[in-house]
Order: sequence, then structure tokens, then C-alpha cells
Amino acid sequence: MVPDRIEREIFIDAPLETVWAIVTEPEHVGAWFSDSAEIELRPGGDTTLTWEEYGSVRARVEKVEPPTSFSFRWARPVGAEPRAGNSTLVELSLSAEGEGTRLRVVESGFRELERSEEEKAKYAGENERGWEHELGELREYASTQMRPSARQ
Amino acid sequence: MSPRRDRGDELWAAVTDPTRRQVLDVLLALGEATATTLAAELPVTRQAVAKHLAVLERAGLVEGRRRGREVRYAVRPERLDAATRGLMRVAADWDARLATIKRLAESQEP
Repeated sequence: MVPDRIEREIFIDAPLETVWAIVTEPEHVGAWFSDSAEIELRPGGDTTLTWEEYGSVRARVEKVEPPTSFSFRWARPVGAEPRAGNSTLVELSLSAEGEGTRLRVVESGFRELERSEEEKAKYAGENERGWEHELGELREYASTQMRPSARQ
Repeated sequence: MSPRRDRGDELWAAVTDPTRRQVLDVLLALGEATATTLAAELPVTRQAVAKHLAVLERAGLVEGRRRGREVRYAVRPERLDAATRGLMRVAADWDARLATIKRLAESQEP
């Protein structure tokens, strides 16, 4: 019932190298993903993604092929070492398109994550939180779409 | 593939589209609405709203009821189960992250 992967993509009016830097450099990752990030940019490299509100999530770099391919596996819950069954794989692919860049993301492994009851409650299931919360998320999302510079 | 799996895929396709998530959001806020009402609330045409409503209705997420000359739609909350909500959030999170990456990249000096 639950799909194992999600795929999204976006066209960016900037060169491949610029997008590569934003996708992989800790100072930028700490702007678009977490609140701060430490990344050892090599296969097997240790990565820590910190959200002030939640804490630090451990991740491991899987693939680094500049400037087209970067992937990492991030674990849940906070503090856990990434391994099969407690993590999802994020694969970012960049390709030149005219003067700009097409950025694709695939995040996979939700079905496996779903098997762990602990994770289910914490991440994929959201059983404890009702629609009120989701609506808040959607509104927040919609407002960030309308006011692109509003991110704190 | 089992019908159940097909239904899951359809449900998933229905909720991963950003505009359809907005349609659900507005429908939940209003209780029920016609395609015309929804189009007034969203940055899309009435025709586009009608197409999105058709996808959502096929996935069982909304229900249309005819009142006189108009059809009023409402969300079927029981269909938005926990897993679907969780993944909607994952998709919405990635849309927001990609939008941020785009904004950061496009504001860099070449």
C-alpha cells in the first residue's frame, strides 16, 4: 500500500557547478535541508544533520560523482547509526539543461522503514498527529511557496 | 498486480501533486466546495481544478455530490490514512527543499 519511493524534480536557472555546490556543501545543506550540517564528502563519509528543534540525525554518504550524482542514507530516529531498516536513501541527480540544471531527487526505503514500529510512530506513520497538524504543514508549505524568502 | 496495489499507486499519484495537495487543503478548510469556488482560491483555472478533482475522486479521496446544477466536493478523511499523510509530508518537504535549492542557486553570483 505504501509506495517505497518518492521522486521529485525541479528546473534551476543556474549552472551545474553552482547547483552541485549548494547540494553538497555543508553551509548550503544547512540552509535547505537541516539547520546545520557536517558532511564528509566521500563514499562512506560520516554526515550529521542537525535540526535545532529535533536534534542530530546521522547519515552516511553513499555516492559522490561531481557534478552529477550525490547520494546519502539518513537514519531515524535522532542519534541512530544508519543501517538497513532504519534509514532511507536520498539520491540527488543533476543534469545540464540548456543554460540551467535539472535537479532530480529520489528518496527510497520507506517500506522498510515502515516495518519498524518504533520508526513508524516517529516518522512514516504520523499516527499520533491528525489532520490539524498536516493542514498546518500544508499551509506552511503553501506560504513558503508564495513567499520564497520567508524561510527562517 | 493486485487491485489493492493499484489502488495504492493511484492514491499515491493523487497526493504527490502539489496542486492536488492544495485542493485537498482548501477543501478541508471549506468543508465542501464546487470546482468554481476552488478555482477562486487557487492559482489555477476551473478546468484544471476539475481535472485534479477527477483524479482525487478516482483515488477515493474526495466525493462529489450534485446539488441542483452544481457538484459540491468534500474530502473523505478516512481515506487519508496515516501512511498517506506521512508520505504527503515527505513529498511536500522535498518540494520545499528543491524550491529552496533553486532560490539559493539562482541568487548566487555566476
